[in-house]
Amino acid sequence: MGRWVLLFILGVIAILMVSPLVLTVFTSLKPTTELVNPPWYPPISLTFEHYVRVWTEGGFSRYFFNTLLISVVDAIVMIVIASLAAYAMVFMEFRGKLVLQVLFLIGLMIPVTAIVLPLFQIVRSFGLLNTHLGVIFADLALAVSIFVFMFSSFFMGVPKALHEAARIDGATEFQIYRRVVMPIATPAVVTTALLEFLWSWNDLLLRLLLMTKDEMRTLSVGLLNFQGTMTRDVTGLSSGTVIMAIPVVLLFLFFQRHFVRGMTAGAVK
Amino acid sequence: MFLDPDSKLAQRLNPVLFLLPALTIYIVFAIYPTYSVVEYSFTDWDGIRPDRDFVGLENYQRLFSDKIFWEAFRNTFVWSGVIIVINVGLGLVIAAMLARVWKARLLIQTCIVLPVVISPMAVATIWRWMYQPTGVINQVLETIGLGAFATPWLGSPNVVLYALAFAHSWSTIGLGVIIFLAGLQAVDEDLYEAARVDGANPLQSFRYVTLPALRPVTAVVFILTLTQSFKVFDIVWATTQGGPIRFSEILSTYMYKRGALENQYGYGSAIGVSLLVIVSIATIIYMQIQNKEDR
Repeated sequence: MGRWVLLFILGVIAILMVSPLVLTVFTSLKPTTELVNPPWYPPISLTFEHYVRVWTEGGFSRYFFNTLLISVVDAIVMIVIASLAAYAMVFMEFRGKLVLQVLFLIGLMIPVTAIVLPLFQIVRSFGLLNTHLGVIFADLALAVSIFVFMFSSFFMGVPKALHEAARIDGATEFQIYRRVVMPIATPAVVTTALLEFLWSWNDLLLRLLLMTKDEMRTLSVGLLNFQGTMTRDVTGLSSGTVIMAIPVVLLFLFFQRHFVRGMTAGAVK
Repeated sequence: MFLDPDSKLAQRLNPVLFLLPALTIYIVFAIYPTYSVVEYSFTDWDGIRPDRDFVGLENYQRLFSDKIFWEAFRNTFVWSGVIIVINVGLGLVIAAMLARVWKARLLIQTCIVLPVVISPMAVATIWRWMYQPTGVINQVLETIGLGAFATPWLGSPNVVLYALAFAHSWSTIGLGVIIFLAGLQAVDEDLYEAARVDGANPLQSFRYVTLPALRPVTAVVFILTLTQSFKVFDIVWATTQGGPIRFSEILSTYMYKRGALENQYGYGSAIGVSLLVIVSIATIIYMQIQNKEDR
């Protein structure tokens, strides 16, 4: 098999892989009159009316900002709490470290799906149903152990001598964390931010359980609801889908290298 | 943090301060619910009453004699099996081809991995639309003269589970491909050279060089795909909710129906525990393999 045959086969696969996305974009941009054409016909006259409709009347602006808020907070807080915990696990000596290691290891095994029922009860008992905070706490808890391990393995590559030197200079642990260790850990920070943002942006199950009021809905729940009530609104549905996909697709295209590294490393989730 | 860093107090307090935020959230919202799901599964709780009665193994006895549970159980395995065959088999082949190509490699890889970042909810909407009786898939089949295979994909009892598994594979295969690619880059080029000198054709060198070298990576992708497909909820719920009738019911959707919609918290939790046990076992195996590889 020549290289050109391989390239051809791969080209066909690549086109097949992106075609569902391309067709969705096509449909979202078509005037209703062009829907009689087969889906693979590109739109002849572009229209953004479906996006406007979904964004305003469909409530997607609200869903979008709810999703964005939760995902950004998730990503930022995750970086802070996971790196702090990993710092303690790697650079500090204390009793019960092994127990904690096992505890965090358990977190890698817990499938979110299996524990959503009690999770709902706990969030409810804190009065956090239909709040951003409730979802944020749940998101953080369910992924924190992955990122603690990610930061830990990164910190283990930091020369112990660097840490020792800073200690001898009289720096506190927090100063060493802020000024010495975290600046070197940028790759781990970027990976954590991207992955946590992505998972948070995409999740449906937790949001479906914890957000029942319309004004608190995220894009995933909003789209599910829209699909249930407006089953035949093909253009609206595809616009909604594109609105949900565009931010993560752009992030992926800009940070592909980091994503690929992160997804292979954080593949346990 | 403002204490003298060398003081005894600082040394005892620091780990607590650094670990507290992560640990508190983790224990309250992940560890405690994990304990609770087991506890609930031994009760008759409805999720609303303030009290619940211990009923021993009643929920589990019911589980064993529940025909729907076993259907969901079977469907979950079939579902995972289909996804594993596609993601591991096709994923490996695609990665092996990709590794031999330099031109346009990044572009092709981007196209294949892109669906991985798309939300399962969006994936569900896209494929529900494509699978409609008058949808893209059937239109394509008719256009190329295969109209006889056209079917209401999500409405046919014998097809729906496979159709959904295929859609899920579309959105996850990229992950397998990049893990395989990473593995392939670690294969010694000299082995291929030696195979070529010995007169092996590309298929033979794939069979006798690539496959054996990739065995550990294959195991990783296998178990990873297994654990991930066991946990799936979103795409099935957003397309068929387990239907028509129960032909695409999997453990997660069945648990959601019993537990969250019908308020049978005890019973729903027993289903959750079964999911927890299966996924935990698979994950432990996965970590063992990865550990072995690191060494």
